Amino acid sequence: MDKFLTFTILGLSTAAIYAVAASGLVVTYTTSGIFNFAHGAFSMLAAFTYWQVHVEWGVPAIWSFLIVVFLAAPVFGAGIERVIMRGIEGAPEVVKIVVTVSLMVGLLGLALVLWPADQPHTVPPFFAGHSVEFLGVVIGYQRLLTMGAAIAVALGLRIVLTKTRLGTAMRAVVDDRSLLELNGGRPGRTSGMAWALGAMLAALSGVLVAADQPLSAPALTLLVINAYAVAVVGRLRSLPRTFLGAVILGLLESYAVGYISGSTSVGPISLQTFRTAIPAIMLFVVIVMQPEARLRAHGVTRPRLPLPVPSQRLAIGGGIALIAATAAFGSMLQVGDLGLVVKAFGFAIVTLSLVPLTGYAGQISLAQMTFTGIGAVAMATWGANGSPFWVLVSIVICAVVGAVIALPALRLTGIYLALATAAFALFCTSMFFNQSGVMPGGSVSVPGVNFGFIEITNDYRQLVLFAVMFAVIANLLVVMRRGSMGRRLTAMKDSPVACATLGLNITATKVGVFALSAAIAGAGGAMAGRTFVTDDFALTASLPVTMLAVVGGIGSIGGAFFGGILLGTFPIGSTVFAANAIGIFKIVSLSMTDVLAFAPGMIGISLGREPDGAAPQIAAGFRGVLRSTASLVVSVVAVAAMWGLAKADMIDKWGMFAGIVVFVFSAVPLLPVVFAGSRSDGPRIAPIRRLPSLAWMLVAVAIALVLPWESITDSNGYRILLLVGLTLLSARVSVGLVGVAPEALAAPAPSPDMVGIESPLTRADAMDAARGLGFDEDEFEALVAAQAGPIRAGRS
Amino acid sequence: MSLLAVNQLSVRFGGHRALNEVDLAVEAGQVTGLIGPNGAGKTTLFNAVCGVTPPTSGSIRLADRDISGLDTFERARRGIGRTFQRLEVFSSLSVRDNVLVGLEIRRGWSRRHTPAPQFLAHSRDLKPSDEVDLILDRLALHAVADQPVGSLPTGQARLVELGRALAARPTILLLDEPASGLDESETEAFGNLLIELARAGLGILLVEHDVALVMRVCTDLSVLDFGEIIAHGPPERIRTDEAVLTAYLGGGGDGTRTGSARRNGTRAAGGRPNGAHAAGGQP
Repeated sequence: MDKFLTFTILGLSTAAIYAVAASGLVVTYTTSGIFNFAHGAFSMLAAFTYWQVHVEWGVPAIWSFLIVVFLAAPVFGAGIERVIMRGIEGAPEVVKIVVTVSLMVGLLGLALVLWPADQPHTVPPFFAGHSVEFLGVVIGYQRLLTMGAAIAVALGLRIVLTKTRLGTAMRAVVDDRSLLELNGGRPGRTSGMAWALGAMLAALSGVLVAADQPLSAPALTLLVINAYAVAVVGRLRSLPRTFLGAVILGLLESYAVGYISGSTSVGPISLQTFRTAIPAIMLFVVIVMQPEARLRAHGVTRPRLPLPVPSQRLAIGGGIALIAATAAFGSMLQVGDLGLVVKAFGFAIVTLSLVPLTGYAGQISLAQMTFTGIGAVAMATWGANGSPFWVLVSIVICAVVGAVIALPALRLTGIYLALATAAFALFCTSMFFNQSGVMPGGSVSVPGVNFGFIEITNDYRQLVLFAVMFAVIANLLVVMRRGSMGRRLTAMKDSPVACATLGLNITATKVGVFALSAAIAGAGGAMAGRTFVTDDFALTASLPVTMLAVVGGIGSIGGAFFGGILLGTFPIGSTVFAANAIGIFKIVSLSMTDVLAFAPGMIGISLGREPDGAAPQIAAGFRGVLRSTASLVVSVVAVAAMWGLAKADMIDKWGMFAGIVVFVFSAVPLLPVVFAGSRSDGPRIAPIRRLPSLAWMLVAVAIALVLPWESITDSNGYRILLLVGLTLLSARVSVGLVGVAPEALAAPAPSPDMVGIESPLTRADAMDAARGLGFDEDEFEALVAAQAGPIRAGRS
Repeated sequence: MSLLAVNQLSVRFGGHRALNEVDLAVEAGQVTGLIGPNGAGKTTLFNAVCGVTPPTSGSIRLADRDISGLDTFERARRGIGRTFQRLEVFSSLSVRDNVLVGLEIRRGWSRRHTPAPQFLAHSRDLKPSDEVDLILDRLALHAVADQPVGSLPTGQARLVELGRALAARPTILLLDEPASGLDESETEAFGNLLIELARAGLGILLVEHDVALVMRVCTDLSVLDFGEIIAHGPPERIRTDEAVLTAYLGGGGDGTRTGSARRNGTRAAGGRPNGAHAAGGQP
């Protein structure tokens, strides 16, 4: 009985933390429609800030608490809202998810830089040493405080949300900022306060959970996943149900700790790691139990610029070129580099798997590496002889698992799919990959494929195999895109309700695409021919994959390739900048430089403006250069100047090469946009943006020029991969700064209905209207001269 | 047996009664009109028939089979086609592709050959591209076939939606203000198209504010106001119906102007005028 009571109290105090964290999440979601994946990062930052203020600077506990929770947190929350969240409010779900995930990654990187993990940071509990006895159980004041805080939060939120004007404004579910504005509301202020409140709640949970244990940034950031499960119980809307969910989860976890010993097992499955799987299981179960999402007809709101369909000839040619280039390039690399490049290529295949799912169907998955893992494990277990038959079987298994997972979640909106995949990834880590029977010793060795006429025995062959795989899969995807399936997926993205009224089973179609995407990721694992460790398949490994796939340009195959390669460059960077490298995520090392720690956030911001990613922008930019004399001139002069500098021995050969590459790929496509005169029918760029954009381009090129390439590393492989990373990042930042995508230059004529509303009324439009009304040129000029108003403004 | 029979259909959103025990029938080969002031519940009725909005009570029968439990796509596969009040075109695709997608989706699920509507003037099955071309021709969209739909004016975009719905070869068409945005000659041509489609065997339920069009093409008219059917019958009778005039058509026998300015005045007297039910014919 004592034991039961002890664990019940323990469970309730954990529940209190979850409840507070989850309410913050619900508050920001209901007011902005953005599910804040970075919520845990907010908690984590608050915990570390509290340590800094209280332990490091010696401010008394109560003041530290007040400063962190009631001052720093709301300011931070409102700031994040203003700078990042506001820009993505109406954006597609994929963008919102990637931006908040990027923010989480960025904040985590920031924390690891400011508070390096090699020193312990411990926070003493509140009122240490005091405790109370209740029914024979000793309860520390810390726990009482925690539970009291949760109750206070529950009551406080109820009052704020129902009794104050601010609360009512926050409770109104607003589809449209502008709608609220039209009704006299001040959406900016309301959003800002909602995020401030959310951040406060996150901070409170962070500070409470931090006490009496050494702080670990990654662990704290991911603790929020438990809060997701709790928030979903409340359907991301209802606070009382959220609190109920918190109690359930807290008690379940506590009893599991108390009553399931580490050595219990059910058949071959050890339950040792079961407790860590409980939140994931609960999350998945709750998602499955949600009622089906309603189809809603909301009309065409944002006509998107259609992603150009790649030509089959380009795909075939590109594929052949890729194989040839890889074969040639690979033969020049040394063994060490080869291994690294092979890994990067492997990632490119995983990011390719996201092209049909996220690019064509607009759905998101945060578990691609999990499917890669399933493919790898299946192949290693049964296909030890490397037979292609087992490769096929492994791929089919991944497809089936993908379909099973997706089916319950795809009935609902995009965020639930993301959460379901996250839950799945976590579940597999605990209950599958960490089982000693599955990955003995924590690692698995995938055999090289044996085709009979050729066997993959070394890295070079693996590299060429990957290139062939990429080319083949890419071509198949292009065939799909150009065919009726591609049209159908685009249609589904544009208007799911219209598709349903035409008889399309949307859920079945989406499940099919998800299975395909799982199959491709699984193929990347089954044919990898290398050794993996359990962390390679964790949620933390999948997040950057999804992030960079979207950033690289998710609708386009080239974009997926860039994204994958970029993913591969990060670990190289970490070994290069060894002094600062703390590879917490095995895949993404976040503390290479401060810039790279912030880059994901910048990437995230720019995504909000241009959801289709980098590669299409670069391509569109090049088309624009040919039409813009100023850009051509500047490009030629710049390249010549760099060559001149190299000739004059002011920069080394590699510097020149790097500078030219960065310039050509990240600055040139944007020159036409930056130089676009104040043409009345050009894209409207606020003058204030041209300068920072140009400045950034100069900075990026300068960095590339002066980076000591030759002394950083001896190998060309490292250098090239680093260069690619630098180029892509600088391109993204440039686009983010200038605020207008190069594609806007090639925009089709706006609908005549929308002239004067969505696009400025230009002189040419006015002339058309005048002609339509029967005026000739002279009469029109006279009209214009007589009016001091809109027409003249449109002309300038 | 009616092609579509709606019986005592009620839809409530929270406390608000959007539809109250509505009865409606659509016959094959006829154009049935549904008119009423904005907010009367016409689009809600469409949504309930299509399965987008679940009804609170009542039943919906298609060819005498109860479809109340079916999903939207299942109802579509039984022959219900629809256009939307707020455009639901596929704005990333061209005009041609919009219609083509409708056709391809239909080919994805139809096992039997549903006969092509007679207005396509062929009895054997056509190649998809030919069928798309014929639809585009008939709707006078051929000139803009390769433009992205987002660049078209609203009136033409509505026609694209209609073409897309036709490509799925429905047996009954629910049209939600399809002619808004069309000028006079375009409306005339559109009305002729509707008559032709009806003659080919389609049942059409038409929601429109253009009263002249409605009077011309509909054989049967229902008037919806505040979620209730206040009148039902042939157009000539509805045109002179007292309740309909006060509620919707504007005071006086002039049935060519829509006007609901009078409405606020009569409503202020408190509640629904009971005379409305007595005056209007019951089905």
